[in-house]
Amino acid sequence: MNTLIAIGAGMAVLTGIGAGIGIGIATSKATEAIARQPEAKGDINKALLLGCALAEATAIYGFVIAVLIILFLR
Amino acid sequence: MKDLSTELMSELQSKISFTIPIFGGIPVPSSVVVTWGIMAFLMILTLIFVKNLKKLPTGPQIYVEAVVGFINNFFEDILGKEGKRYIPYLGTVTLYLACSNVIGILGFTPPTKDLNITVGLAIMSIILIEYSGIHAKGKKGYIKSFSEPMAILAPINILEIFIRPLSLCMRLFGNILGGFVVMELIKIVAPVIIPIPFSFYFDIFDGLIQAYVFVFLTSLFMKEKMED
Repeated sequence: MNTLIAIGAGMAVLTGIGAGIGIGIATSKATEAIARQPEAKGDINKALLLGCALAEATAIYGFVIAVLIILFLR
Repeated sequence: MKDLSTELMSELQSKISFTIPIFGGIPVPSSVVVTWGIMAFLMILTLIFVKNLKKLPTGPQIYVEAVVGFINNFFEDILGKEGKRYIPYLGTVTLYLACSNVIGILGFTPPTKDLNITVGLAIMSIILIEYSGIHAKGKKGYIKSFSEPMAILAPINILEIFIRPLSLCMRLFGNILGGFVVMELIKIVAPVIIPIPFSFYFDIFDGLIQAYVFVFLTSLFMKEKMED
């Protein structure tokens, strides 16, 4: 039973893959944009932070689910 | 290994610090006590710095004015002129969240690690978001705004009322809890010196970013409600 719980929690944390890819793409585009237009740095940073926060949310959901699985099923 | 997991589990539970002995005992969680501490701290700072303000700022008044000006400019950029009346609330939430996320570095458990606190903050945020929509557009305009851009999308617009606070509170709670768990693991494995650089990242950087993101998203949603 414990093994199954551990496997389930690990699978829930796999959501981090999507968040990692998303934040990576967003950051690469932001650096490109800043290199092209350094004067728009402030606005680009703001948009990047918003996008990162929204993309990161999926990873956080996965993490919360994993913690809940471990806490409630043991 | 068994000790480590039980220790971690006991850290994860939100502790009861004391019980008020009326109505058969009201339990007071430790997060509430830490919140009272933060409130007292902010109140004392306010009383100290607001004493004898001058037209021409000197000494610490310069820094206080810089901080207040920064907060005001930040929210006015997002909300615009008509959103100026909401800035005091948003600024208060910013200060509270910044203090409560960073307090982990002093050895207290951050109050935002307790799900009840983040749920309360998120409910306050969604009430403010919907209120700003009603205030800006009137009752009719507010109800009408659910059927935009198409009437078919109304269920999704209504669902958003519930999804937004859920995502706000889970984001804050999950980030702080994640940082807390990692910090506790590091402290159990290596109690001296090694936690310091990690503490800078998880307690200070992550905490401040999350405080920023919380109020940023709240004001962004308010702007969206007030505009369209």
